[in-house]
Amino acid sequence: MRKSTLVLSTLLIAGSMLLAACSDNSSNSASGNTPASASATADPGTAGTEKPASPAPVPAGALSEPFTATDLTKLPAVAQNRTDTIIVGLTDPSGAFTPYFQESGYDGNVSSLLYASLVTVDDKGVPAPELAESWDVSDDQLTYTFHLRKGLKFSDGSPLTAEDVAFTWTIQYDKAYDGGSSVPSMNVKGGKAYKEGTAKTVEGIKVIDPQTISVTLEKPNATALVTLGSNVLSKAYYGKDYTFGHLEYIKKLHEHPLGDGPYKLEKFLPGQEVRFTANENYFKGKPKTEHFIYKTSEGDVWQFLETGEVDYASFSATDENIEKLKALGFVNILPYTPSTYGYMQVNLKHEQLKDKEVRQAIMYGLDRQSIYVDAAQGAGSIANIPASPISWAYTEEGINPYKYDPEKAKQLLDQAGWTVGANGIREKAGKPLTIHYLGSKSKNTDIFIAVAKENFEALGIEFQPEVFADFNSLVSKVEGGDYDLVSFSTSMLTDPADGFMQFFDGEITDYDNPKFLELYNKALATTDIEQRKAVYKELYQLFNDELPILFTSYKKTVYAYNGRIQNLTVSPFIGLAGSLPEWTLK
Amino acid sequence: MSTYLTKRLLYMLIILFAASLLIFILYASTPGDFITGNIKLTAERKAELREIYGLNKPVLERYGIWMNNAFHGDFGYSLAQQKPVLQLFNDYIWNSFLLAAVSTFLTWVIAVIVGVISAYKQYSWFDTLVMVAIFAAMSLPSFFIGLFLIKILAVDLKWLPPGGMITTGSHATGLAYLKEVVRHMALPVVVMTLLGLGSLTRYFRSNMIDVLKQDYIRTARAKGLKERKVLFRHALRNALLPAITLVGFELPALFGGSLIIEQIFNWPGIGQLYMKSFGLRDYPLLMGFTMFIAILTVIGTLLSDILYRVADPRVRL
Repeated sequence: MRKSTLVLSTLLIAGSMLLAACSDNSSNSASGNTPASASATADPGTAGTEKPASPAPVPAGALSEPFTATDLTKLPAVAQNRTDTIIVGLTDPSGAFTPYFQESGYDGNVSSLLYASLVTVDDKGVPAPELAESWDVSDDQLTYTFHLRKGLKFSDGSPLTAEDVAFTWTIQYDKAYDGGSSVPSMNVKGGKAYKEGTAKTVEGIKVIDPQTISVTLEKPNATALVTLGSNVLSKAYYGKDYTFGHLEYIKKLHEHPLGDGPYKLEKFLPGQEVRFTANENYFKGKPKTEHFIYKTSEGDVWQFLETGEVDYASFSATDENIEKLKALGFVNILPYTPSTYGYMQVNLKHEQLKDKEVRQAIMYGLDRQSIYVDAAQGAGSIANIPASPISWAYTEEGINPYKYDPEKAKQLLDQAGWTVGANGIREKAGKPLTIHYLGSKSKNTDIFIAVAKENFEALGIEFQPEVFADFNSLVSKVEGGDYDLVSFSTSMLTDPADGFMQFFDGEITDYDNPKFLELYNKALATTDIEQRKAVYKELYQLFNDELPILFTSYKKTVYAYNGRIQNLTVSPFIGLAGSLPEWTLK
Repeated sequence: MSTYLTKRLLYMLIILFAASLLIFILYASTPGDFITGNIKLTAERKAELREIYGLNKPVLERYGIWMNNAFHGDFGYSLAQQKPVLQLFNDYIWNSFLLAAVSTFLTWVIAVIVGVISAYKQYSWFDTLVMVAIFAAMSLPSFFIGLFLIKILAVDLKWLPPGGMITTGSHATGLAYLKEVVRHMALPVVVMTLLGLGSLTRYFRSNMIDVLKQDYIRTARAKGLKERKVLFRHALRNALLPAITLVGFELPALFGGSLIIEQIFNWPGIGQLYMKSFGLRDYPLLMGFTMFIAILTVIGTLLSDILYRVADPRVRL
């Protein structure tokens, strides 16, 4: 029963920015997978469609504290009998388990357990050491030097050295590289020459000794630390057949990964499960639970959680879901806010939306509380800036919450010169004020359209919604420019800079505010968190006022897991991969 | 017969060629391509990738390349799954086939038996009851009945597993493996059989009723043949004749997978994969699978014509 919502989700492994596109239908938003990897969702649904989350004010009924299982005796025998295996549902891994070469984010979830990163991020998204025990950034912010831990090994026992890191970066500058990694856009010095075949190596990548490697960029970019500090591919394994311009051979290795993460692949059964066993060569020590399984669960994951066939699943944080989960008795529930935000892209080419006042009027005039919080049964909260409430850069200081205020909206429209015409529709210079809205087919889009229609009518705006069942068709329409507003949700944001991605990847081309570019580059020019925070605050205030995109909502989800699992935490940025090695079964 | 076959085979090739061209153009002209949906990419990267995948070439040229590769046995590489299309077929189709084959077999056996009996006892209480039950089964949406059975039999009573093909993490082999798969396929097979049963039973019933009214049946009875013999030797054989046409048409359905059933029961079949690849515009997989079904359809049609000839000597080919 494929849900109408075709969510194209691009997930990237936390550090590794692995780009992947996969279509995910969340029915009751129960999707078994963990956003272990960054889950970038081009959520077609009206923004906030899925279940948004709330930062400060917790909506009544929503779960704000973890809930502990009340009656473990209710745990189904199937789950009771599993003593050394943990099973987690994952929508649909395809078998491309090599980082940087995957198209599906679900494969990213798999490889996040098979490969460790040089640099990881903590619960706030701040870079933290993993395979690299430390790193230095040169004063000009161009050269990053990573110091690897001693004695690192791949799961087959072979050593992991700076050479492997250099190889990993280099092949992503190969002209045949067709993956979606962000490494190529980091502009490593000499990367272009290598790609064009005029240089034998990438000039900016320097192996200093087996434990030390440095990389030089052409332009400062604070996201480079995490992007470059991602998974490491073994040169001996993935590089033995490599010659410039030829990477096809790697495809044959997709199903036989060799990594350095907490688990190694035991067996992949297409469409059924991915089996892992603990990696005794993992640098933090062998994980506590011997076996781990990602079970492919395309449809509804409820039935598997209820019967004990999976130990862990995520659900939209609706009151209904939470009540149902609590009633099961044997699951612990963990509230969780994904690192994403929902927004409506505005067609800035269209006369009526060029005006900041009109955009602000829409923000005031839309009853976002009803659409994203109340109708979503508390599984969402309202967004006003391009950052998730869990980000280290998040702030509400000097941010206009745009509380629902139709009077204010009308006033702004009047100011902008749009006056109510004969049939109740506002006009300016004889042109009626219309909004052509695009959304992906989903329950939340339906809610949005129902409420927005009333809201816009009250303002005197003619609202023309158009709903797409197919995400690619929607994007094509947007590319064709035939829209005024279109709902999206971002992919998983690791660095605050990711929150502005849509302004740089070619999607939004008509917002040229020099102040924005200046601040954006300023924030990337340093790796100092406090300095960056201050710049982002300014940026958020600018965006909150200018509204080059209309912010809609944050999702809110919950993780429900078998009460026997101990030490479970979920990071918004790296999902369960971070704490999985510590999980034990009571 | 042999000229007929040559002619038919030639037609088949022309039909397949036309179909492949049409399908390719249709897929290529649906809005968006494989790269479009990946909204994280910059415009330059998108252009680079289109170049690498050859998506920037004119449709006819892309078709030519695809066709040329296909003739060399290369059906391409799934963009989304990062695997050769043929390997994907091998991974998924057999699972779909297993479900379809068992449920088709059951459907036919039950439909023939029930159809014959209810035709023979037309308007009896049995006939009425069967017809009511059949209409009920036909009008139930498959996802409803599927979920309902999961709720009752798997979640509440725990008699059968709620989905999948094997118990997660199972290392069973041999007989134990077989038993596991049988348990897991029980529910989907029941649902598929229930859904297919209705129309086929009614088909056999009405055929049988027609045949029973024929003169030769009266003659057979008049000869003093046993009723059983009349029914099964004389009536049934003739009543089954038109059904032979149907056998051929079942062929593509055996391999095509069932989107809804596979999704509800978490069955690792091709139907889900196909649907997904459409959303992603995974052209090689889409093209490969659609052509595979087209080939099966054409072969199925030919097969039913030949079977008809074999079963009924009056038919000339």
